[in-house]
Amino acid sequence: MPRTVMPGDTITREARRAGDNVLLDGDTLVSTAVGIVNVSDDTVSVIPLSGKYMPRADDLVVGMVISHTSQAWELDINAPYVGFLLATDVFGRDFASHADELTSKLALGDLVAARVANFDRTRDPLITIDDRDLGKIDSGELVKMAPGKVSSLIGRQGSMIQAIETATDAAVTIGQNGWAAVSCESADGLLRAKRAIGVIDQWAYSPGLMDRVKSALGHGGG
Amino acid sequence: MGTVSILDGLKRKLVADSVASGRRADGRALDEMRELVVETGVVPKAEGSARVRLGRTEVVTGVKVNPDRPFPDTGDRGTFICTAEIPPLAHPDAEAGPPSEAVIELARVVDRGIRESHMLDMSQLVIKRDVSVVGVFTDNAVMDDGGNLFDACSYASVAAILSCKLPVWEMAEDAPRLVEGQRRDPPITTVPVSVTMGRIGNHIVVDPSLEEWMCLDARLTITTNSEGNICALQKGGREGFTPEQLNSCAETAISVGARVRPKLEAARRAG
Repeated sequence: MPRTVMPGDTITREARRAGDNVLLDGDTLVSTAVGIVNVSDDTVSVIPLSGKYMPRADDLVVGMVISHTSQAWELDINAPYVGFLLATDVFGRDFASHADELTSKLALGDLVAARVANFDRTRDPLITIDDRDLGKIDSGELVKMAPGKVSSLIGRQGSMIQAIETATDAAVTIGQNGWAAVSCESADGLLRAKRAIGVIDQWAYSPGLMDRVKSALGHGGG
Repeated sequence: MGTVSILDGLKRKLVADSVASGRRADGRALDEMRELVVETGVVPKAEGSARVRLGRTEVVTGVKVNPDRPFPDTGDRGTFICTAEIPPLAHPDAEAGPPSEAVIELARVVDRGIRESHMLDMSQLVIKRDVSVVGVFTDNAVMDDGGNLFDACSYASVAAILSCKLPVWEMAEDAPRLVEGQRRDPPITTVPVSVTMGRIGNHIVVDPSLEEWMCLDARLTITTNSEGNICALQKGGREGFTPEQLNSCAETAISVGARVRPKLEAARRAG
């Protein structure tokens, strides 16, 4: 059973490193968020149950174009920072800001599957779509969930998302930022997949999650 | 300057595709309103009040009635003022502070529908001609912006006015004096109903939801009175309507208005 903590709760006095959302106060590790305690190797971190996404290099994210300059698009990646996608990434090295119109490739509101190229908190995160399976998302629907619950949606070695995709014939692109693009040939499959993701967002880290998801996937309609 | 929500491209496509197929994303027919729930008497200190839920949109409206100085050119009529407010709790894009252009338009469209339908017989709201008249103030507070605030605020205002009880004043030494214990029904002549329609592509939808609202090419609010006559119009959005579309909007406003009117009239009996 995972351990839930509130901000200010003492997690442990053992000699361990403070990870995300954890402070070292004297010899005590204290949580700064509402979430689940996670211990890996010698580091203690808290996975928050809500809140924004904190970018990390190499994360796959789903972003939405909210603006652009002459050199780059600005993406909403559900983070406190705006993601920057450079025009050269999309147009190639021949990009010329006076000749190429950015909106011809990506317009306001367009969704992209992308990767965080680098981020160090001193500058806004740089986003890239220069990789296999990355780029504009043309079909499906955007589903939002808490970023801290993405790992539950994926499951152990992708078991949860595989179960959803197999049961509904849907294709799900999951961003670490809590945004997922769900596309499916049948409206019923789409509905069931969305419902299953909603169940995971609500019941992640609770016992019997898989049973709840299975019943959400079970039948269409109501 | 706050942020303005952008609807993602996929949702925009979904809304447009579903409207083109004749069945909207939320399952409604094109000329179908969302569920309308009207409650009255929700603000005990106001002379009249109403809470209206139109789908996810929720508005609370209060009517205050006070003696007022008449306008110099209309000394034989009472005054009517309608305001609107969208507090930050109603929508992520709503900001505290001076009202935005959209909020001013909202208040004016609601005001115009009630004023131009002559819902209230203003000539009966005079305490002493050219000296003192009755002022009716209708304040709309949006609790939740789920799209189509025009109609929700209009229904809430109309229901609040229908349900209100007016205090009675008499003149004493050139100043109005409240007559204790006396109340009267407002001088209602008609029940205006506003119907807002939006154009998405070549299709007209009635009572756009928030997502549809963000996709509208153009919108049109038509207010009709109890006789089914059009008494106010407001067109918004960057694009326009064809003459045929305008005619069909007018007919829709009359037929949908006739379906909504009994729900508002129930407020009169409840009040």
